[in-house]
Amino acid sequence: MLLKRESSGKRWRIRPDGLEKVTGSLAYLTDMSAAGMLYGRVLRSPHPHALILRICTEKARQLEGVHAVLTHLDVPGLNRYGIAHQDQPVFCENKVRYVGDAVAAVAAETAELAELALTLIEVDYELLPIVDDAERALLQDAPLLHPQGNILHHSQFHRGQLGSGFSACAHIVEDTYFTPRQMHTYMETEGGLFVPQEDGRLTVYSPTQHGFMDRLQLSRITAMKQERIRIVSSPIGGSFGGKDELNVQPYGALLALKTNRPVKLHHSRWESVRAGLKRHPMKISMKTGTDASGRLLAHQVRIIADTGAYATLGAEVLNFTVEHVLGPYRYEHVEVDGYSVYTNNGMSGEFRGFGGNQAIFALEGQLDRLAEKLGMDPWELRRMNMRMPDDPGPFGQPIVVTEGAMQVWNAAEASDLWQERGAPNREEEREPWLKVGIGSAFTMHGGGLGVGIPDPAGGRLSLAADGRIEAIFGYEEFGQGLLATLELMLIEQFGLAASDIRMIIGDTDLVPDSGSTTASRATSMMWKTLQNLKLPFTSQLLERAAELLGISVDKLAMGAGGIYETAGNTLLLSYKELAEAEGERISCSTSFLFPTSDTSRTGAHFLYTYAAVVVKVEINQLTGRVRVLDQYHAVAAGPVMNPQGFLGQIEGGSSMALGFTLTEDALMQQGQYMTKNLDTYLVPTIVEHRGAVTVEPIEHLPQGDSYGPRGIGEVGSVTLAPAIAAAIHQAVGIRVTKLPIEPELLQNDCAFAFAEEAVSKR
Amino acid sequence: MSKHEMLGAPRGAKQRELACTINGEDMKLEVNGAKRLLSVLRDDLALTGTKRSCEIGRCGACMVLVDGKPINACLTMAYQCAGKQITTIEGIGAADGGIEPIQRAFLEEGGFQCGYCTPGMIISVKALLDRSPDPSEEEVEEALSGNICRCTGYGGIKRAVQRAIEWRREAP
Ligand code: FES
Ligand code: FES
Repeated sequence: MLLKRESSGKRWRIRPDGLEKVTGSLAYLTDMSAAGMLYGRVLRSPHPHALILRICTEKARQLEGVHAVLTHLDVPGLNRYGIAHQDQPVFCENKVRYVGDAVAAVAAETAELAELALTLIEVDYELLPIVDDAERALLQDAPLLHPQGNILHHSQFHRGQLGSGFSACAHIVEDTYFTPRQMHTYMETEGGLFVPQEDGRLTVYSPTQHGFMDRLQLSRITAMKQERIRIVSSPIGGSFGGKDELNVQPYGALLALKTNRPVKLHHSRWESVRAGLKRHPMKISMKTGTDASGRLLAHQVRIIADTGAYATLGAEVLNFTVEHVLGPYRYEHVEVDGYSVYTNNGMSGEFRGFGGNQAIFALEGQLDRLAEKLGMDPWELRRMNMRMPDDPGPFGQPIVVTEGAMQVWNAAEASDLWQERGAPNREEEREPWLKVGIGSAFTMHGGGLGVGIPDPAGGRLSLAADGRIEAIFGYEEFGQGLLATLELMLIEQFGLAASDIRMIIGDTDLVPDSGSTTASRATSMMWKTLQNLKLPFTSQLLERAAELLGISVDKLAMGAGGIYETAGNTLLLSYKELAEAEGERISCSTSFLFPTSDTSRTGAHFLYTYAAVVVKVEINQLTGRVRVLDQYHAVAAGPVMNPQGFLGQIEGGSSMALGFTLTEDALMQQGQYMTKNLDTYLVPTIVEHRGAVTVEPIEHLPQGDSYGPRGIGEVGSVTLAPAIAAAIHQAVGIRVTKLPIEPELLQNDCAFAFAEEAVSKR
Repeated sequence: MSKHEMLGAPRGAKQRELACTINGEDMKLEVNGAKRLLSVLRDDLALTGTKRSCEIGRCGACMVLVDGKPINACLTMAYQCAGKQITTIEGIGAADGGIEPIQRAFLEEGGFQCGYCTPGMIISVKALLDRSPDPSEEEVEEALSGNICRCTGYGGIKRAVQRAIEWRREAP
């Protein structure tokens, strides 16, 4: 059934965080201020690669109104951060490696003064040769960016005998795919407020996807005990993976501690661009072969990912790409060789899809090319080679039995849009230079962090003194609708009214560590937590109620407002009365790990979401511009927890994928960004986002599946690009290998002749 | 010239009186003429519903109504506001303290996710519907082409605008 308001009934609800958002009354953490607040600014390197010979902060310090000027000498603890590897300097000591590298920071009474103070800090640099190309970074004579070399991570996988595999092939295609340095472009740039407390603790109000990870990292940097730091981390004006790693937090924290005053930092867009993370640009070379009937026999892949100056999650992203270039297909002979390479380009890191987007663009492109060689329907080729429900995962690892691949394949096949593919041009008269095509692609996308990476989860339910039932989680709301989903699950699974519920998230002083809000994992983990807590929490409440009422437990049930007598359906006791009754506070918690596969392969996944996309595009051969006319998405992710959120995540993910495909590239030359703001870095606007996005969730899970809903936060963003590429090929016969698609490629001289003719006729 | 004056900073800099109306209230503000409206609203008046994002007039997060027209507060200098009627998201809403139908439409259709673009988006829709109550799809696209939303994919926003138009049509 298609997902929309009309088909969702009562489950289509107004978000609990909605009213404040539409009235503008919601205070984002970058909206906050405090009495006596100072403004922080960070001095960043103008050079992509240089030695620091001298830093002189004297003049800046002397400026009236400046309260602190910090350099690496002022870091009390570890002068490094990074979720997985702590190799990014808080302040560079003797070398800068990209144009976002921080050298100093100031706190002053006004933002303008802080800005002036930055100009008074003198830094002498000795320029070093720049490595601005990942492939070149691998050469023997390339300048070394880190003592251990220019390779952050090398990830390989092989099975079978590639040589004999290829020699048995009747058809082989070979191509190289390039994907862009996409920018998250969260509308709220990084920032926050840092407040030293009277008791010496530090409160950090700054967006992140994992408050406890920030707390751990800040404790290392400040040399303060973790318990002395409180992180308040939601609401967030968008993240998409971009705020998972520390950004302003080290500077805000150090400045606040040094000055003992509240300090506010809020990045300008340009500072956000130069210092922030991007999607890894990748070059993926593939050689793939089939037998005469179209059965895949051999698949060889080489991946070069430009990870930029420091590690952050570059290794983990590469592992994900290596897994996803294999995709939902069966092959006997496989070899993947991937490198994540340091350069002096901007930092690459975590981004919605986590390296799957690049992989799927290349892999699905190969399938389309093979189908063409075989003279076969590309969708049929996919069906023929698709994994079966109890096949192992891409690495041969055990995974949960799933019919997802076939389900989304069937759904797309049956969709009106795909049925139209024989004659996409028919229904409308178009100008002769406008060409229309329909294409499709599909994917399996892993959820959770994967094998070998700590992936804890859990949460707590309590009855508060005022009678509210508190759901307490360490997750963050960055727009994805986590609160709305949680509220709906509490209403449906416990029979509560919205007014019975208080949700508490995003504050390390109040919540348990539920793991990171990332990797499409939070919905699954909240669901599992509620499953675990349902019995113990409900029975505690009912037992207490039974005692008070003198009625046996089996005659009582939870409902909206309080405890009901099941037989008569009358409210016997409100939650407030229950809370006021004597006795120990009722509270239950659970903690567990995200389910993982029984394999030693680091990063391998156990749970997957499947998606298929069909897209119809129009190409203007005069301008070379592509316009998406219609989209269909089938998503097999188990039961839909929150219809409005589900639809929004797929629509939003597809919009991001549209930018990835057509316009978005944070261009760099010689290690410098060419696209500094939203006038040159072009994300889709309402004008680009034409046509309908039809979403069909497939909720059916195999019998006995106990894992419930799978994540959908990322999957909407991974499959559109190859579908658009396929549609372009159908329309104009051109194979796209590089994203974003260069309009020149699609311009056609004949179209100009047509146009001239048309004009002269008028 | 002192350093502060050089900066156009508030402290000690030449302050001018700016008289304007903000959300229906007459205001006399002491501001430096070089200041932008966005900063006056957010930093001086704590009206943080108006958002800051690109600061070059591209994203629409800072949209406010100036004499009923949608204007990017990040591009507007404080002195340009003299004598003008400024309405921010905080000033949008029904007279009885409830919300505007446009706001309700965004709520019901899920026309937002993180919500950071939403105030600016609602201001643009308000300006559109006030001048053109029954706009064509192209008009809607044009009116909202200066408002970037990174989260929703615009589907929810389009549905919200359509609903707001219907409600206006139905209302007497
Ligand atoms: S902040 Fe004014 S248009 Fe972006
Ligand atoms: S809702 Fe996040 S930018 Fe629009």
